[in-house]
Amino acid sequence: MVDFADTTADPGTFTRTARITFAGGGEPEFTRADLVFTGVDHGKSSYEVRVFLNDPAADGAYAGRFHVFGHGGCFGDLGHCDVPEPSADPTDLRPRHQLTPLTTYLTVTGPLRRLLAGGTALETVTMLAIALPPRREDHAPTLDLFLFRTVDLRTYFTPATPG
Amino acid sequence: MGTRKEAGNLTPAELGALQGAFTRAYAIRDERGYGFFAGVHGLPLPSYCAHNTPLFLPWHRAYLYFFERALADLDPDANLAWWDWTTPRSHREGLPAAFRRTAARVNRNPLATGPVRLSAAELSRFRADPANRGALSDGPEPWTLRDPGDPDELPRAATIARALAAPTFADLSTLLEGIHSSVHVWVGGAMSLISVAAYDPAFYSHHAMIDRVWYLWQNSGRGLPPPTALLDRALPPFPMTVRETLDIARLGYGYALDVAG
Repeated sequence: MVDFADTTADPGTFTRTARITFAGGGEPEFTRADLVFTGVDHGKSSYEVRVFLNDPAADGAYAGRFHVFGHGGCFGDLGHCDVPEPSADPTDLRPRHQLTPLTTYLTVTGPLRRLLAGGTALETVTMLAIALPPRREDHAPTLDLFLFRTVDLRTYFTPATPG
Repeated sequence: MGTRKEAGNLTPAELGALQGAFTRAYAIRDERGYGFFAGVHGLPLPSYCAHNTPLFLPWHRAYLYFFERALADLDPDANLAWWDWTTPRSHREGLPAAFRRTAARVNRNPLATGPVRLSAAELSRFRADPANRGALSDGPEPWTLRDPGDPDELPRAATIARALAAPTFADLSTLLEGIHSSVHVWVGGAMSLISVAAYDPAFYSHHAMIDRVWYLWQNSGRGLPPPTALLDRALPPFPMTVRETLDIARLGYGYALDVAG
């Protein structure tokens, strides 16, 4: 698991890279692989995140994308959009704050398998966020929107069902 | 209420009833009207919509249920329609004709844009952020705008098939919400922001499609109820629990078996 603080931003390409290594080779082989993102911010404009395995410029590096539906800013008074820590009080039945950072995942089973099948281990995951405000002409790469707490590769094995 | 059909398959009478009910709802400024329902989702505060939680599907089912009931009070023949964005037609044309403008300058289709009734202070705060430009038209009583993308960028049937193979309710909810978000930003304009998305009439057909996929999953071999801990959760502001959203027949509506062309 990689913390946001341990990722590397490249202002020239608007990309952010996390060092996540995986060489495969385990038995049994994974049947599913997800990149799991926690603590993802969704308070501002909507945005798209494009994900690449290893060198983003290499053929086959693109692993997929996901979208974050943004609130468009804060419309309350001072403090309205400050997200409180989760309550440990069992009698606190209030719904969680609407801007509580989200957890999401991108399934990368196929791209990861293809990478490993070519004899290359996973070394890095690179993310390119595109801001998607209402006007298409304003869509642009950004480092400001895709803020998250952690990113992690999780692999799973589900045995095939007989018959 | 009755049967929801695909937006491209509505008869002229069905489309006319839907357009008429929306038009009448636009003119009502109390809690029976369009502004009230659109405002429940985002602005004005408080915003009630459930996103990025396991309540995403049940909350929006309740939302459409109460809105559709309000439309039926205005025209008993008005049923929401779903927009299947996976079809070849959607991948050629984008939004269904039923939701498109009749002309670039003078639009006569009430489903192509919706009125946004916010106070001057709320509009001012919304417009203060330059990142929100292009969501609403100018003036004190704006209407929603759109800026759709390339139709072939809309989700494909294979993507829905993957969602329908979800092994758990939580998986389905996460996958469907991701697909749902991609369509919101594809439409652009007001639809690209949680705060004002529900003022666009296309919102309800988009969410009817999401609701329909959940319904299809519920009735597939994989369909499972949400976790027990969720079942008695309330869905504010609606007087309804998650459990009460699970059977759409008990809510008085269904989905046609027809498929879009």
